Amino acid sequence: MKIKDKVAKLSFVALLITMTAAMFYAPTASAHGEKSQAAFMRMRTIHWFDLHWSKEEVAVNDTMTLNGKFLVFAGWPETVDKPEVSFLNIGIPGPVFIRAGSWIGGQLVPRSVSLELGETYEFKVLLKARRPGDWHVHSMMNVQGGGPIIGPGKWVTITGSMADFVNPVTTLTGQTIDLENYALDNVYFWHAVWFAIAFAWLLFWIKRPMFVPRHIAVSTGKANSLISAGDKKVGMAFALGTIVIVAASMGSTNEKYPVTTPLQAGLLRGMKTFQMPEATVSVKVDDATYRVPGRAMQMTLTMTNNGDSAVRLGEFNTAGVRFLDPAVHEDDTNYPDDLLAEEGLTVSDNSPLAPGETRTVEVTASDAAWEVYRLADLIYDPDSRFAGLLFFWDAKGARQLVTVDAPLIPTFI
Amino acid sequence: MSASQSAVRSRAEAVQVSRTFDWMILFTLFTAVLGGYHIHYMLTGGDWDFWTDWKDRRLWVTVAPIVSITFPAAVQACLWWRYRLPVGATISVVALMIGEWINRYLNFWGWTYFPVNICFPSNLLPGAIVLDVILMLGNSMTLTAVVGGLAYGLLFYPGNWPVIAPLHVPVEYNGMMMTLADLQGYHYVRTGTPEYIRMVEKGTLRTFGKDVAPVSAFFSGFVSIIIYFLWHFFGRWFAKTDFIADDNL
Repeated sequence: MKIKDKVAKLSFVALLITMTAAMFYAPTASAHGEKSQAAFMRMRTIHWFDLHWSKEEVAVNDTMTLNGKFLVFAGWPETVDKPEVSFLNIGIPGPVFIRAGSWIGGQLVPRSVSLELGETYEFKVLLKARRPGDWHVHSMMNVQGGGPIIGPGKWVTITGSMADFVNPVTTLTGQTIDLENYALDNVYFWHAVWFAIAFAWLLFWIKRPMFVPRHIAVSTGKANSLISAGDKKVGMAFALGTIVIVAASMGSTNEKYPVTTPLQAGLLRGMKTFQMPEATVSVKVDDATYRVPGRAMQMTLTMTNNGDSAVRLGEFNTAGVRFLDPAVHEDDTNYPDDLLAEEGLTVSDNSPLAPGETRTVEVTASDAAWEVYRLADLIYDPDSRFAGLLFFWDAKGARQLVTVDAPLIPTFI
Repeated sequence: MSASQSAVRSRAEAVQVSRTFDWMILFTLFTAVLGGYHIHYMLTGGDWDFWTDWKDRRLWVTVAPIVSITFPAAVQACLWWRYRLPVGATISVVALMIGEWINRYLNFWGWTYFPVNICFPSNLLPGAIVLDVILMLGNSMTLTAVVGGLAYGLLFYPGNWPVIAPLHVPVEYNGMMMTLADLQGYHYVRTGTPEYIRMVEKGTLRTFGKDVAPVSAFFSGFVSIIIYFLWHFFGRWFAKTDFIADDNL
């Protein structure tokens, strides 16, 4: 063997070994590409806030909830279809939990819903643990024509064994079944029956010489001799048998399941909105810049307090990342660490804004999350605007929400 | 051995070689059809075949036969007109369904843990067997297309009803009525398959009340006739020997 052939052969063997070895390394896909989603989509579509994951560890068959609110941003980007047909989903890696329930404004939403721009909705998702592991559990809204809009995620551990999982459901006919394996034997049975009939038909033909002699016969004009009267009788028996089995099995099925209904589908409209306390603070964004080296966004805001109590700016929330001024507000909800900049908000003058007062301040939201969550990529988006929620608190702890939406200018030096 | 000498020395040896050749061709045909047909059906039938909450009485009934009669028609054209073997449709559908079961069991269940009772494949075998028998009895592409194509569409829903009926039993869930199949789709989370892309129960067949499945099946059968013709011609074209120069034969 020439050296060249030897090298080629060994290279091929090495390639096969590498490919085979690669099959044994299949790491679990833990997250959902949330950081890859265009920053402007996360900042200017659905604003998730007041999120609460009820548990961080849950046993198989136990339940947990993810609840909170979302604001459908009034300045919805033109490049994304409006959420006229949307579906409240949950961002988890497949059915590691089952979705035991999901509600918007108290209404069960197993179907798609129509959402209104500028409105806030309260939601809750009830999850029942199914598959053990550490899973990133996100809020998520699918928007037709816009794609999935994923919200903040938190790691939740499921303990136990999937073999113990049960999913009991009582039907309207009074039968309690385990949906996890309901009717599975029936599926296997009917597929086995039809495979057996099909294999019998195939065997009837392939047990005899096939390609070469038959091709010779067809080529020499003896094609008709290849199908005998007996073959035709067997064929007719198969066809009639097939029709009889189909008809009989359909009849017996209708007797066994006299009550069946069609699949349910449809769009839910008029979802109940959540009325936030009316904002008495008005905010105008004079300018906003993102300083790339410093991983910080700076805004010049002119704030006017039209209410009757003094307020302070305590939080800026964008794309689920929360920048807090700890002097005003501290998080006590156990929000995911990577999305929480507890000291990330700096206001040039954050003394109480008195009723009737107007003040212009420099606000800086800085944290590694800008880079980690690739929000800095906003400067590469087709519509370089930022948006977010500003939360103000008064001395009694009353909170009000103001949205901001403005162009963003990057600075590279 | 020179090129003019036979590769075999006796009739018995010739028969043995011929049978070996049969199995090789059959294996190759089976795996090639399994791959090609499977990809075709997943791309065109896709979610209608993947999930029980897509298997409705209108669009699933309409779409599945139309997009699945393709390879059976083409393989029939080759196996019947070249070899008088009336197994083209059955062998195609058996290959497809074996491929689907491997996919559903190993991928849908084995990797992503969807229960098999939500993601089992549709049963296409009754229509395939009848399609083969009609071609054998009639020895006519036109008859097979018209009678067989129609039968293929008509047999689809009743052929699957024993499997899906238990999943169409209604359930009351948190104040809403849905079928067990709907509930499966809701419970077993699919982040990439939101509810609104589910194309079920859409259309204008409202004057037929609850009996839309037979109407959908007839429509599917009619379109299957046209698709059968088209793909039968594809099969005939691909089964030509014109691609090989005479002096190579």
